[in-house]
Amino acid sequence: MTKFNKTSAGFSRRDALRVLGAGGAAGLFAPHLLGKPAFAQTPPAAPTGRIVVGLSQEPTVFNPLMPHIEVDDGVNFSIFDALFRISVDGVIGPNLASEVPSQDNGGISEDGLNWRIRLRDDVTWHDGTPFTAEDVKYTLELIVNPDFRAWRTTGHDLVRDITVVSPTEITWRMEEPFAPYLSFLTETFMVPKHILEAEANPNEAAFNQAPVGTGAFKWGQRLAGDRLELVANADYFGEGPYVEELIFKYIPDMTVLYAQFKSGDIDLVGNAYITPDNYQEAKDLADRVVTVEPKGSVESIYLNQELPVFKDQAVREALYLAMDRTAIIDALYYGVPTPAETFMPPQSYYYNPDLPKQEFNLDRARQILDEAGWVPGADGIREKDGLRLSFNNSTTVGNHLREQTQQFLQQTFAEIGAEMKIENLPPAVMWGDFWGQSQFDSAMVGITYLVGGDPDVTYRFHTDAIAAKGGSGSNNAQYSNSEVDALLVEGSRTFDPEKRREIYFKVQEIIRHDLPFLPLFAYTNLYGRKAGIEGFEVNTNTRTESWHAAAWYWA
Amino acid sequence: MTTLTATHSPSRWWQSRVLRRFLSHRLALLGLLMITLLTLACVVGPYLLPYDSLYIDLRARFAPPFASDHYLGTDPLGRDIAARLFMAGRISLLVGFFAMVLSIFVGTLVGVIAGYRGGWISAVLMRTVDGFLSYPTIFLLLALAAALKPSPVMITIIIAVTSWMEVARIVEAEVRSLKEREFVLAGRMLGLGRSHIMFREILPNAMGPIIVAATLTVARAILLEAYISFLGFGIQPPLPSWGNMLNGAQQYLASAPWLAIIPGIAITIAVSSFNFIGDGLRDALDVRNDTV
Amino acid sequence: MPAFLLKRFAQSIVLLVIVSIIGFVVLNLIPGGPLAQFALDPGMTEADKARLAEQLGLNRPLLVQYFDWAWRLLQGDWGISFRDGNPVLTVIGRHLFATFLLMGSSTVIAIAIGTWIGIRGATHRYSTFDYAATVGAMVALSIPTFWFGLIGIYVFSLKLGWLPAGNMYSIGDGSVLDYLHHLIMPSVVLALVHIAVWSRYMRTATLDAISQEFVKTARAKGVTERRVLMKHVVGNALLPMITLAGVQLPSILTGALVTETVFTWPGMGRLFLDSLGYSDYPVVMGLLMFSAILTIAGNLVADIVVALVDPRIRLA
Repeated sequence: MTKFNKTSAGFSRRDALRVLGAGGAAGLFAPHLLGKPAFAQTPPAAPTGRIVVGLSQEPTVFNPLMPHIEVDDGVNFSIFDALFRISVDGVIGPNLASEVPSQDNGGISEDGLNWRIRLRDDVTWHDGTPFTAEDVKYTLELIVNPDFRAWRTTGHDLVRDITVVSPTEITWRMEEPFAPYLSFLTETFMVPKHILEAEANPNEAAFNQAPVGTGAFKWGQRLAGDRLELVANADYFGEGPYVEELIFKYIPDMTVLYAQFKSGDIDLVGNAYITPDNYQEAKDLADRVVTVEPKGSVESIYLNQELPVFKDQAVREALYLAMDRTAIIDALYYGVPTPAETFMPPQSYYYNPDLPKQEFNLDRARQILDEAGWVPGADGIREKDGLRLSFNNSTTVGNHLREQTQQFLQQTFAEIGAEMKIENLPPAVMWGDFWGQSQFDSAMVGITYLVGGDPDVTYRFHTDAIAAKGGSGSNNAQYSNSEVDALLVEGSRTFDPEKRREIYFKVQEIIRHDLPFLPLFAYTNLYGRKAGIEGFEVNTNTRTESWHAAAWYWA
Repeated sequence: MTTLTATHSPSRWWQSRVLRRFLSHRLALLGLLMITLLTLACVVGPYLLPYDSLYIDLRARFAPPFASDHYLGTDPLGRDIAARLFMAGRISLLVGFFAMVLSIFVGTLVGVIAGYRGGWISAVLMRTVDGFLSYPTIFLLLALAAALKPSPVMITIIIAVTSWMEVARIVEAEVRSLKEREFVLAGRMLGLGRSHIMFREILPNAMGPIIVAATLTVARAILLEAYISFLGFGIQPPLPSWGNMLNGAQQYLASAPWLAIIPGIAITIAVSSFNFIGDGLRDALDVRNDTV
Repeated sequence: MPAFLLKRFAQSIVLLVIVSIIGFVVLNLIPGGPLAQFALDPGMTEADKARLAEQLGLNRPLLVQYFDWAWRLLQGDWGISFRDGNPVLTVIGRHLFATFLLMGSSTVIAIAIGTWIGIRGATHRYSTFDYAATVGAMVALSIPTFWFGLIGIYVFSLKLGWLPAGNMYSIGDGSVLDYLHHLIMPSVVLALVHIAVWSRYMRTATLDAISQEFVKTARAKGVTERRVLMKHVVGNALLPMITLAGVQLPSILTGALVTETVFTWPGMGRLFLDSLGYSDYPVVMGLLMFSAILTIAGNLVADIVVALVDPRIRLA
C-alpha cells in the first residue's frame, strides 16, 4: 500500500514478496529490532481505538531539531523518524535507512571518516511527497546552519561534503572519526526539505506548530495548555500504527496525574510517571499494569572538585561511607530505585558490574578522616590546616524527595563531623551559571549521561569539557584525570563494541575510585497503563515512554 | 477649638481616651491575648517539648497527632510536628514583624515626603507607588523570589518591597491633610526647617493610622510568607516556617491530613490576632467615635 | 469632564511606562534564562547553549533589550514564548478564559453574599448576626486562601466525594454541568476573602448612608423601610463600590494564582508559575504587563463610571 505513483508490476510484486517474506533476512526489518517474543494477542488489521497518555509537562516544541525536553520527544518519535532506531537492548537497527552502516559492510570506511547510507525507497511524508536523500541532506545542513536555533550540534558539526548520490543513497565525510555519531543519528529526526526550505526563517515556520513527518502518526490538532491529538498514518512504512488516535494530555500536578490514572481518565502514564509514594497502592490496582523499569539516569551528589575541601580523596571517600543509601531508598523512595556505583545505567552493555559496592559505615568514615588528619573542632566539625569540613549542598526548590534526602544526609554527615548546609535554589537560578559554570559547592542532581545508549561521556568527564575553565562541555564537577581523558578520546574513535566495552569499563573503575560524584541510586520509573494495552515496552536508550507508540494496541 | 492644635498636652489626653476605647474593644483584647500566648508558645515551647524540631527519625514517619508523645504527630521525615510548629512560628513571626518594620519605614518616608512636598516630587513618588500597586502582589513576589537566593533575610526584604505601598498611600493622605493645620503654619513661621516640620511635627500626629497600618501589615506579611513558602519559593527547609510546612502537605492530604490542618490553624490564629488588634486600634483612633 | 478624562488617561499612560520599567527590572534579576531548562540535557554542551543565547539575543545590553521590547509592545508584538514558539499574546489568551471564569464567578458570589451580610449587619446593628458577621469577616480575612482550599479538598473531595479535587473539567466530559461542578469549590474558596471585604464595606457604607439626611427625609415622607434601603442606601453606596471593585482587582488576581495552584486550574496564574519555572521571559513579562494593564484599565473605567454617575464630579 504505497503512495508511489510508479505502479509498474515490478514494484507491486516486490511489495507482495515483502508481505509474504515473513520478516526473514530479505525483510527490511532487523528482527532483533522488535526483539521480543510474539504477543499473546495479535494487533488489529486496521488502526482502531484511542490511547490517552498523561504528561506532567506540556510538549510545546514540535520541530525535533530545535531545543526541546523529554516530553517533546514522545511526540517526535510518533510524528517523525530518524535514520536508525535503537532497540530496547541497545542494538541499533535501520529505520529510514535500509541498513546500518558499519566498517564490516563498508558503510563506514576503515578510518571511520567516510560514511555511506542507503535509504528505503517506500517512505512518504504525511503530505504524500516521497522521502529522499535530499531530505537527509537538508536536515543535516539545517542543524549546523548558524542562523538556525538547533538543539545539539555535536557530531553534526563534524560532517562535511554531504553528497546525494541517488534518491536512496547519500554519502558524507567526517572531520574526525566519531563513533557515537551512529547513536546520535537514532535521535536525529528527518524534516521535510520541500516544506522548510520555502520558509524565510525556519525558526518561526508554521511547520513548527503543525509538523509534517514520516512517522506512524500524523499531526491532528493541539489545544494548548490542555492536550495534543495525533491520528494514525495509514501509509506508514513500518510496523503499525494500531490505534486510530494518540492523545497526549497535559496534567501539571503529579497527584492529579495519578488520580486520573486510577480513575481511568488516562490510559497510560507518561512523564513523570508514578511517584514512589503511590507504588504500594498502584501495583495492586485492578485492571492496571504497573511495572518498575530502569530509566537510564543516576541520582548523585556532585562534588565541585575545585573546592578545597573536596580535593582530599579521604573526604570524598568518607562522605560516601556516611550515606545510608538503604534507608533513603527504602524509606524515602519506597524501595523503588536501585543503588548505583557508576554513571552507566545497569542495563547498558557497557555497564561494569564489578565495581566495589558502597557500604554505610560511620566508624570507617571517621577512621579515614582521622588518618587523613581531619581533627574534630570545638563544635564537632572537623578541621585540617585551618580548613573546616563544611560545604553547601544545593538542589532545586520544591522537590520534596530531594529535600528530604538532603536533610537526612545532613544528619548522618554531621555524625562524622562534616557540616553540610542546605541551600536550595529556584530552578532558574540553579540551572544558570550556578550549575553551568560550576559555582556550586555540591549539588544533588539526577543526570542522564548517555545519548542514544552510546557510552561516550567525554562531554561530562573530559578536562576540556570544563565550562568554568573555558571548555565547551558539561563537566560541571570540574573533574580532571589525564588517564580518563585519554581513554575517553580513544573510546570515541573506536567503532568495535567489544573494544569499547573494555575502555569504558576502565573509565568507570577510575571514576568510581576518584568519586567526583557520590552516586545515590539509579532511577527507576513506575510505568502504569491500562491492562488492555499491548505492545508497550520501555526503552532506556530513549528519553520517553512513547518511543514506539506505533506498536501499541488494544487487546 | 484651640484644643485641636496638636501640641503635647492634648495629645496625652487623646492617647488615654484611645487606650480606654481600645481596652473596651473585646475582639482586640482577644487578639492581644491570642498573639501573646502564641508568641510565648513559640519562644518557650521548643524547650518544653520532648523532641527536637530538626531530628529526623525515619522509623516514626507520619505518626498521627494525639496518639503518642509526638503530641501533634510527625512529618514525612519523622520530625515532631509540635516542635517544628513552634520553631516555624518563630521564623514566620519574625519575618512578618521585620517585613512590617521595613515597609513601615520605607512607606512612611515616601508618604511624608510626598505628602508634605507636594508638586512634582509627590507626583513622581505617588505614581511609582501606584505603579507597584498595579501588580498583583504575588506576581511581583514570585518574580523576585525566583531571582534571588531564598534566605530569611531575602524573603523579609521581598515581602517588604511588596507591602510598603499601602503604608505610603495612607501616610501621604494623612500628611496632606495635616499640612494645612495651624501648627504647621506656626512652625513654618517660626523658621523651623522642612525636615524638622515633616518628621518632628507632622509625623507624630500621623502615628495613629501608621500604627493601625503596622498591625495590618504584620498580618499581611505573615500571610504572604505562607503563600510563597507554600509555593516553594520562600523559607527553605530544613528551616521550618508555617508556609513551608504546608508545602509538602497537599500530596499527603488523603493519608496524613494533619500535616495540612495544623500549620494552617496556627497561621489563622496569628493573622486574625493581628487583624483583631488592628481593627480595635482603628476603632479606638477613629475620630468619628469621639463624643466630644 | 473631558479635561478630567484626559488627565486620568494621561496618568494611566505614565503609570504603564513605570509599570513596564519595574517589571523589566524585576525580570532581569532572574538569572539562568530560558536555556536553564536544558541544563541537564545530555548531549547539549555549553557551546550549544552559548550559541542559542546569542541567537536569542540574550547577550545584548539591558537597555537595548528594554527599548526593543517596549517598542515592539507598542506595535502589538508582545514577543514569542521561548518555550512554545507561539506569540505571547496567544499563549496568554489561551489561559484567559479559565482565569476570568474563576475571577468572575467568585466576584459574583463575593458581591452577592457580602452585600447581603453587610446590609443585614448594618440594619441589625449590634445583634448576634452583626457580631458573628464582623468576627467571621476578620477570621475569613486571616485564613490563607490556599489552606482553605486544601481543607475544602480534604472535606469535599476526599472525605465526602461530592466535588472534584481539581481541574476545570473531566476528560471525556465537557458539558456545562461538568464545568460548573468543577467551578464550585475554587470560586467559593477564592471568594472567601472578598466576601469578608465586601461585607465589611457594605456594612460601613450602609451605616453611613442610613445616618444621612435624605434617608431621614424619605422615612419622614413615609416611604417603606425596604424601599428606603434599596433605593437610597444601596444606590449611594454603589458608587464607591465600583471604585472598590477596581482596587480589588490585583488582589483577586493574586488570590486566583494561589487558588489555581491548589486546584490545578489552567489559568493565567498557572501559566505564570510554569513560565517562571522555564524562565520563559517573554511570557512572564507579558503576564506582568497584562495584569498591570488590567488593573490600570479597571481603575480607569471605575473612575470614569463614577465620574459619569456622580453629578458632583461631572459638573466640576
